Amino acid sequence: MREAWVVGAASNRFGKMKETGREAATRVSLEAIRQAGLEPKDIGYTFVSNCFGLTEKQGHVGPLINGGLGIPDVPSCTIESACSSSSAGLHEAFVHVAGGFTDAALVVGVEKLSHLDTLTATSYFAEAADYAFETKNGATFPGLYATLANAYQKAFPMKPEVLGAVAIKNHANAARNPHAQFQKEITMETYLNSPMIASPLRLFDCCPFSDGAAAVVVAAKEFVKQPVTEPLVIRASARAGSITEMQDRPDLLGLPASRTAADKAFRQAGMDRKQIDFVEVHDCFTIAELLALEDLGFLPRGTAGKAEVDGVTARDGRLPVNPSGGLKAKGHPVSATGASQVVEIFEQFNGLAKGREVPRAETALAHNVGATGGSCSVHIFSRR
Amino acid sequence: MPASDQLPSASHTIQEFVHGYEEDHRLRGFRCPNCGLVTATWGLACPRCGKADLEETALSERGSVVAFTVLSVPGDEFLNDAPYAYVVVELDGGGRITGWMPAVKSERNLAIGDRVHFVPGYKPGVQFAKDADAPGVG
Repeated sequence: MREAWVVGAASNRFGKMKETGREAATRVSLEAIRQAGLEPKDIGYTFVSNCFGLTEKQGHVGPLINGGLGIPDVPSCTIESACSSSSAGLHEAFVHVAGGFTDAALVVGVEKLSHLDTLTATSYFAEAADYAFETKNGATFPGLYATLANAYQKAFPMKPEVLGAVAIKNHANAARNPHAQFQKEITMETYLNSPMIASPLRLFDCCPFSDGAAAVVVAAKEFVKQPVTEPLVIRASARAGSITEMQDRPDLLGLPASRTAADKAFRQAGMDRKQIDFVEVHDCFTIAELLALEDLGFLPRGTAGKAEVDGVTARDGRLPVNPSGGLKAKGHPVSATGASQVVEIFEQFNGLAKGREVPRAETALAHNVGATGGSCSVHIFSRR
Repeated sequence: MPASDQLPSASHTIQEFVHGYEEDHRLRGFRCPNCGLVTATWGLACPRCGKADLEETALSERGSVVAFTVLSVPGDEFLNDAPYAYVVVELDGGGRITGWMPAVKSERNLAIGDRVHFVPGYKPGVQFAKDADAPGVG
C-alpha cells in the first residue's frame, strides 16, 4: 500500500449559495487542486457526493464537474452515504491512491437545500432514516437523535446546560471560521430560551439546513514529491455500518458504527487515543457530540457532558473538539460535511485557521456519521 | 405450535407489515430460530446472527417505553398531529417496535418504563397509548 496524503482542501462559506451545487462544487474543486500545486489534468478519478442533487433536477453531476474542470475524460462516480457521503468518497479516494490505481483523486461534496421550504427539507432529511419503520411512525431526523438523548439522560441524568455548553463552544469556534454559516457566539440564555424542537433538543441543539461545498485532493506521496503545502498523511481510513433502526439496536447509548469504525481506524494507524491532538466529530445535534466522544473511546461512557462543561473540549483544552464550529455552527450541507471536516484539519496544519488555532497540533481525527449511525467514517491524519 | 400458524397471511413484504398495522390491526415480526431475536423490522436474515431462517411471529400489543421524544416540529405526514410522542417500545413477548402517541403532548406526560398498548385502526403507522389513558384499553 502506498502512503496517501491530503495535499489540498477547500470550502466555500456555508449557509446559502446563489449558484447551483454543480457550480459551487466545480469552484471548490479547482481551488483545492490549485492549492495542492496541481492542475486538473493531474486528477485520475473524481468522487462526488450530492445526496439531494435531484432536488436541483440534476443527477450524474460528476461528469459535469469534470467537464467544468476541463477533464471530461476523467472517470467519476457519485458516492452516497447520507451525511457521511464525502468521507465515504475520501475513503474511496484513499483506496484508489493507496492501492496504486490512481496517483491523485478529487473528493468533492456539495449540497443545496435553500431552494426548498423547511418542511420539504425536513422530510428529505428523514428519508435517510428507515422510511417504512421509523419515518412512517412519526420520526423526524431531530426526533431520532432526541430519542437517543432521552435514553442517554435516563442513564446519565444531566441538566439542559450540559447540551447548552456544547452549542456555546461550537458557536464560539464558528465565530472565528470564515467558512461557517453562523459566525456568531451565543449565550446560555439564548440557548435555554430557544424553542423545543423534539424534547430534550431545542433549536440551538440542532445543526441548520445549509448549502455548501468542500473538496479534498488525495495524492500518493511518490506522486507529489515536493508538496507546496503541509500535507495531511492519511494514517487511517476506516468505515463501518450498523443496524439503522433504533428498535433493533442492543442499546441506545451511542452509535455502534462509530465504535467499530474508531477501533478499526486506531488499529490501522497503530496509534492510541492519547496520541490524537484534536478532533472534528459529527455533531449534527449537541447530544451527538457527547455520544461521539464516548463511542470513539476518548472518554468513558457518561462522562462527556462533564468534559464539555469543564472546558476539556475547548480549543485550549486537553481534547479540542470541533475547532471549526462543527456541524452545529459551521453548518451541515449534508454531502459536503465530511470533506469540510478535512478542510478544517488541513487549515489547522497549514496555519490557515487564524484565530481558532489548536496549539501544537500534530495529529487529528475526523468522525462523520451517516444519518442516525447506519454508516460511519473515521479518518486519522498526522503531519509528515 | 409455530407462531407463523397464528397469522392469517404471510408477512413477506414491507407493505404487508404496514397493512398489518393499518388494516387487520396486528403487529407482526420475525423470530430467529437460531439466536432467538425477535424483530419488528422487515428482512430476509437475522440482523443479529445473520442466519437467513426467519419465522413470522405475532408480536405482543403491550409493552414498556424504552426511549421517547415529544416532537413540536412534526414529520410531513403528521402535520396536524403535533405535538406528539415518538417512542421505542419493548414488547412484552420480546422485540422492540417504534411508534407514535398522539395523546402525549408534553415530555412531562410520559416516562421511560411507562406501560403502553397498541391502538389499532388509526393511520398512519404504529400508534400507541398509555395504559393509564383511554382509548383502547382492554
